[in-house]
Amino acid sequence: MTTAPGGDRSGRDDRSGTEGPPRFREPERTGGYYHLLKAVVYRDLLIWIRYPLNAALGIFMGVFFFALMFYGGTLVAGQAFSDSIEGLIVGYFLWTLSIGAYSGIMNDIQSEASWGTLERHFMTPFGFGPVVFAKSIAIVFRTFMTSSVVLMVMLLITGTTLDLNLVTVLPVATLTIAGALGLGLVMGGLSVLYKRISNVANLLQFAFIGLISAPVFDIPWARFLPLAQGSAMLQRAMRDGVHLWEFEPLTIAVLVGTSVGYLGLGYAIFGLTTRRARRLGVLGDY
Amino acid sequence: MAKGPSNSGETPDDGSALGASDRSPSLDPNEAAIYVDGLAKTFGSGESAVTAVKDVSLTVAPGEVVGLLGPNGAGKTTTIKSILGLILPDAGTVRVHGIDVHANPRAAYEYVDAMLEGARNDYWRLTVRENLRYFAAIRGQDPDAVSERHDELLEHLDLAEKADTAVRDLSRGMKQKVSLASVLAGDISVAFLDEPTLGLDIESSLKLRTELRRLAEERGLTLVISSHDMDVIEDVCDRVVIMNDGRVVVDDTVEDLLAGFETKGYRISVRGVTDEVLADLQERFDLTDVQRTDDRLRFEVAADTETFYRLTDTMEANNLDVASVETVQPDLAEAFVEMTNGTRETSRVNEDGASTAQKAPTGLSPAGDGGDQR
Repeated sequence: MTTAPGGDRSGRDDRSGTEGPPRFREPERTGGYYHLLKAVVYRDLLIWIRYPLNAALGIFMGVFFFALMFYGGTLVAGQAFSDSIEGLIVGYFLWTLSIGAYSGIMNDIQSEASWGTLERHFMTPFGFGPVVFAKSIAIVFRTFMTSSVVLMVMLLITGTTLDLNLVTVLPVATLTIAGALGLGLVMGGLSVLYKRISNVANLLQFAFIGLISAPVFDIPWARFLPLAQGSAMLQRAMRDGVHLWEFEPLTIAVLVGTSVGYLGLGYAIFGLTTRRARRLGVLGDY
Repeated sequence: MAKGPSNSGETPDDGSALGASDRSPSLDPNEAAIYVDGLAKTFGSGESAVTAVKDVSLTVAPGEVVGLLGPNGAGKTTTIKSILGLILPDAGTVRVHGIDVHANPRAAYEYVDAMLEGARNDYWRLTVRENLRYFAAIRGQDPDAVSERHDELLEHLDLAEKADTAVRDLSRGMKQKVSLASVLAGDISVAFLDEPTLGLDIESSLKLRTELRRLAEERGLTLVISSHDMDVIEDVCDRVVIMNDGRVVVDDTVEDLLAGFETKGYRISVRGVTDEVLADLQERFDLTDVQRTDDRLRFEVAADTETFYRLTDTMEANNLDVASVETVQPDLAEAFVEMTNGTRETSRVNEDGASTAQKAPTGLSPAGDGGDQR
């Protein structure tokens, strides 16, 4: 794909009549959205790898907290706890995915602001939106990698087997964490505007536990909360082996609708906050 | 090369710009690489409102190198960020190559990028080449297709040997150059550079200045350089825009700006001076920086050739022993300080051609050529 991102430069005012050669060299555009996405994903992975201690600790802590829960729960509740271990693993897996996506995009925006690179992402011919979208994809991709490692270790520790039908698990999990990404964009946008919001941002991570375990079958409106519908579907897919095409169309529609809705809402608020930051002149400040 | 509005000279008492911000920019919006008309920005409201930029207008021709100067708080950064669309102005039009930056930013960003944060403008954990490839890609380049151009860029900026070194392992000056390289990696035609030589040693600074001139002359790159290093501005820029208190107070070529300060000055040291002679000299000539020790007198005087000869005749008539005479000439730093202080009165030709002889410049600096020794 080699589409010039700025299109036909139709924004130029034609009042002067642009006859004859321009008095400057037109920049060559050899890349397109594919190169943008590839570069953003690659950069995200490089930065992650080049903070090796942080990367390793992230995975270790994910496993450590699960092991603590598992051995602690088994000690206290015995067989009753073991009977619900599959649900716990799926819930924990989704929680690590959600936290990864949520804090990933939020931290990325904060880091870019503190590194002085956020404004450079604003000044691209692709526009800020596609760049942020590419960043979101990169973060989801990386989060899947790390959470998959945690999932595998959890399965090994507990000796549990789950149905890991990728055709079902991947789209359901991706759509589910799209809602978390939306919330991350909201907090990222607020951090651009207000700079230090870590207290509120960290509290929201615990709210994810409640959203993931929301009883959507008992309280129907709960399925419209972020993460809730996807969490219930992922439980059925991974525990009971339900395939994507076996879900009711309405169930899938609610998942798609809530995911796209929260992601869209998050992006819209991010757009408003960055516009407000430009109005106040604090876009690149940290 | 088109000049912008020419306004060297006085700063009115009310702080309003003389010329530039009072008139429309001199180039057609579609001819100019950068066209700014009536830019204004106030932060906050009510009593806490701070007006950062007031009715700023300027144009920059393609391939022109313009220095943007001003004391801290003059409004330079707000102006630059408003031109780039990073700050939403309250009023004014901004175009880059004829494209309205605020109405159609994506199309405008095809042409323009900026180094705003000095060395903190790229990723320190990535290598130099990885940075170039990344920033080229997010500006619509296939990094593989432009790798040769990147090699050339690294070569010109003396970064070739460090291409695969992480930026964080480089010196401050090298980081600064990487930052500049990452801006140029995206094949742009207009670049804003904030303090591009900050942290560079003299040799690196000189090479960078040469490179910036080469980019402007060979590639037609339009540059707006904000710097406190007057040598850089004097060496690299075709034109200087000086801002003070949110306004453009000077917009002129470096040459013409310095010409406005060309009245020669002299630093003279004499022996054998008495109270009466000193009083006579002070009455007849505008002596400044007068230092007297016993019969030895040292002073500066701004004088044209005729006045200078009258002065030497007077000193001879009073039997003064002239120990030394040095010529002192202004540089851009002096011009900048006087313009932004708003205290300078100088001899300049009005737009109607009438000459207004006023006070000569003060605070002149040595010419550095050793001066005339007698």
